[in-house]
Amino acid sequence: MSIALQLLLMPLAAFLVGLAMVLMMRKVRASVERRIGPPWYQPLFDIYKLFAKDTQISHGVMHDVAIMMVLGGIICVVLFLPVPGMSGLSAKGDLITLLYLMMVPSLGMALGVGQTANPNGSIGIARALTAMAGYEIPFFICVAGAALHYGTTDLNQILTIQQHGGHLEHWGIVQMPLLAVAALFAVHAMLGKEPFEIYVAPAEIATGPMVEMSGKYLGTLFVMQCFQLFTVSVLYTTLFLGGGFSWFTLLLKAFAVVFISVLVTNVYPRYRTDDVLRWQWKWPTGIALLGLGMVMLQIGR
Amino acid sequence: MNAFDLLLYLALATLLPSLLAPKGRSGGMLTTLAYLLQVWLLFSLLPSVSQGGSVAACLEFAAFGHTIGWQLNGFGWFFALITAVSALIASAYATGGWERQCDHASRLHSLMALNVLAMYLLLGAADLISLFIGWELVSWAGFLLMAAPGGQSVQAALRYLIYALAGALALLTAIVLIEQSSGTIQLDALRGALASLPDGLSWVVLALVFVGFGVKLAMPPFHLWQAPAYGYADGPAAAFLGAISSRMGLFGLCLVLVQMVGLERLVGLALPFSFFDAQSLLAWAAAITLIVPTYIALTQNDARLLLAWHGIGQGGFMLLGLMLGNDLGTAGGLLHVLNHASYQAPLFLAVTAVVYRTGTADLDRLGGLIARMPWAYVTLLLGIIGLAGLPPMNGFVSKWLIYKGLLDAQMPLLFVAAVIGTLGTILSVYKLIHNIFLGQLRAEHREVTDAPWGMTGPMLLIAGFAFISGMLPGLGLYLVEPAAAALGLPMPSFDLSAIHAPNGALDMLVVVSALIGAIGFGALLFLNAGRSYRTQPLDNYAGGHFLTAQTRYQYSHHFYAGLLRVIGPWMRPWLVALEQGSGHFLDLASAASRGLYYHNGLRFLVFGTVVGLLWLLIVV
Repeated sequence: MSIALQLLLMPLAAFLVGLAMVLMMRKVRASVERRIGPPWYQPLFDIYKLFAKDTQISHGVMHDVAIMMVLGGIICVVLFLPVPGMSGLSAKGDLITLLYLMMVPSLGMALGVGQTANPNGSIGIARALTAMAGYEIPFFICVAGAALHYGTTDLNQILTIQQHGGHLEHWGIVQMPLLAVAALFAVHAMLGKEPFEIYVAPAEIATGPMVEMSGKYLGTLFVMQCFQLFTVSVLYTTLFLGGGFSWFTLLLKAFAVVFISVLVTNVYPRYRTDDVLRWQWKWPTGIALLGLGMVMLQIGR
Repeated sequence: MNAFDLLLYLALATLLPSLLAPKGRSGGMLTTLAYLLQVWLLFSLLPSVSQGGSVAACLEFAAFGHTIGWQLNGFGWFFALITAVSALIASAYATGGWERQCDHASRLHSLMALNVLAMYLLLGAADLISLFIGWELVSWAGFLLMAAPGGQSVQAALRYLIYALAGALALLTAIVLIEQSSGTIQLDALRGALASLPDGLSWVVLALVFVGFGVKLAMPPFHLWQAPAYGYADGPAAAFLGAISSRMGLFGLCLVLVQMVGLERLVGLALPFSFFDAQSLLAWAAAITLIVPTYIALTQNDARLLLAWHGIGQGGFMLLGLMLGNDLGTAGGLLHVLNHASYQAPLFLAVTAVVYRTGTADLDRLGGLIARMPWAYVTLLLGIIGLAGLPPMNGFVSKWLIYKGLLDAQMPLLFVAAVIGTLGTILSVYKLIHNIFLGQLRAEHREVTDAPWGMTGPMLLIAGFAFISGMLPGLGLYLVEPAAAALGLPMPSFDLSAIHAPNGALDMLVVVSALIGAIGFGALLFLNAGRSYRTQPLDNYAGGHFLTAQTRYQYSHHFYAGLLRVIGPWMRPWLVALEQGSGHFLDLASAASRGLYYHNGLRFLVFGTVVGLLWLLIVV
């Protein structure tokens, strides 16, 4: 497949899969709460509704540019994430590049919310960045362990190593179970789900980054959420679950990752910001450090 | 006379214009022009210093049977180039408008020129004595530049002087020990000469050198002086100092550790009763330098202090990379020196522009300036993305090299330490840009405008370079190559846009193009999705009530309350207390001896003689 076609198809596929993941989250939540839940087209309809609103308030140039940064940044991330049949640009930027590119949309959102000049938005960003310091530390420990274990940061090579012989034994989760568990905790916080959703605070419209976002601004953030679900779950699959030989196996694993997260989400209340940090720096970090120690013993150092 | 001689004479002559023409802008313009010539001269030296070559100056004299001279190699050249460009930008910025608000502009220009000259003399040292002469000149010139504005900056500069004097004594002792053990003072003859020292003596030399040069690099526990000394200096001087000054410590440290002792010897030098060898001990010292000052920066309420604290932290990154000894670490450590200078200077200059217009750098007294000072915002934004080390800026490339170097060297804990430093930086710089430029515009800043183009131009220029060299990292790596060659360290294979590694490559041209392309796509989608209405930056509301600009409605103080509730208890300033305690003890001791002297001179004489004799007894 030509690279131009891949660059077109990869974001499109990511968006559609992300939409399906949003739908699954809503359906699961509905069944936990013994509701029927929305029809299958609801996420798409929500995006259409938000983009078609009449009242859209811009608070300045940075507010607009930030929305472009959010969308552009997250699309750019997808281009560096190899999927079955399409490796995109993943030979030109490795795992570390991908992880730092993932911070670009967050930075864009932080800048945009800052310009809306609503202190509730700024408080939300302060909390979001604090939470980021919480989950990124265990996640990067897992990444360091995985990079050491595979001996590479090239995502294509990581996939090849795991898919060698087609057996489970080479999968990251079998080789590094502790790191896989710790990374799952971190991924859950990365998605901003309960009990780590204080910065989004969806139940209280007056606090959180979204407070001044209307119409297409909120719509873009919705689209970003779709992409983020895809990126994070596929990245986890790539690092620990052997990626996918075909789209079917890849999606099966990616949906499983999101499904675990969704199940946990629906039975938890919310942690305070400092408790998010304490929890993340205690359990996932502790488990990840143990896992890292095991990896270092394995490679003989 | 060769180009290096010319460079030294020109650096000396650069002192003159502002001394001869203390009034008006002609002095500053001539100084700026002289820096431009210096940069040109340095580039003309590139062919002779690349591939391990060097250029000797005709300046030399004999003392104690040794020849004391100066000779510039690729390593010194790399730092000299950054020095000259930093001085050029700072001087252009000052001349371009900043000095209209300054009553000591000519002093500033001449002191900065003195600093540049002193740095050349240090960087071009051919032996240990000329190295020490250069080192002392750099310390004194730095002190004068820091103290130039008067007031609280003098206090900060004096504090630096005390640390610098202690460091100089340690350095002098180390030089004597090196001379005694190897019999030579010539740096070329000393290459690898310290590798054969016995373990005990090696540790003593390492400790002395670490204190001597580590003070300039502000490595903990010597980190307290730097932030106020740089932060309270004049704006352009702060940009110059922040960009390059403390890297002189890195230069000296690498000279001894990498060139004289050698990294293999450091690995072999095990610390008794521990798992550490000298290399990992130094790498961990670098990691502590990277983390502690970064999280101190996070708590600052003065934009200049915040930036100065980050300068210390980024120094830790450079040392960390250089201590690895592998190709990626070396390239990353050295490239970060250049990259850090290229974003730290615009950061300081942008903050200075804000101070120039609003009169304050207090992060609790600013906000919403993006609507009034857009160019300063753009500069600061480019700078903070570089400082945080995110794509597409050049700070990402050098940090990527260091991360990869750490993983290749199988040091995952240091990798995690580096990431912890980066996360702290991201949090801290968002607070910086938010509290100055985002949020509510204050009523008193309603009429503020961007700084004059004479100031905005230079800072945009250097921030633009930070972007371009992020997209094309080969530009910086070509300059790093002679430095690595002079140190005898390996370099990775690279071309203009990409760094090649068998286990994970980076092509920044592709990364940046993809990012820009995707943002362009986002823009298309955004602009075609219905019209939005722009509100006034002064309009605001809370809970349905409209607020005027008179009502303060900005979240800026104690920005990361949740984080500080967790890490606050770990950040007790016990070292500050120790420093103050030792200061008070000295005060008390000197008051006691003064009292004794005035009260009973004879008893003082007897006391002094006894102490002196005792000391002699111990020494002999």
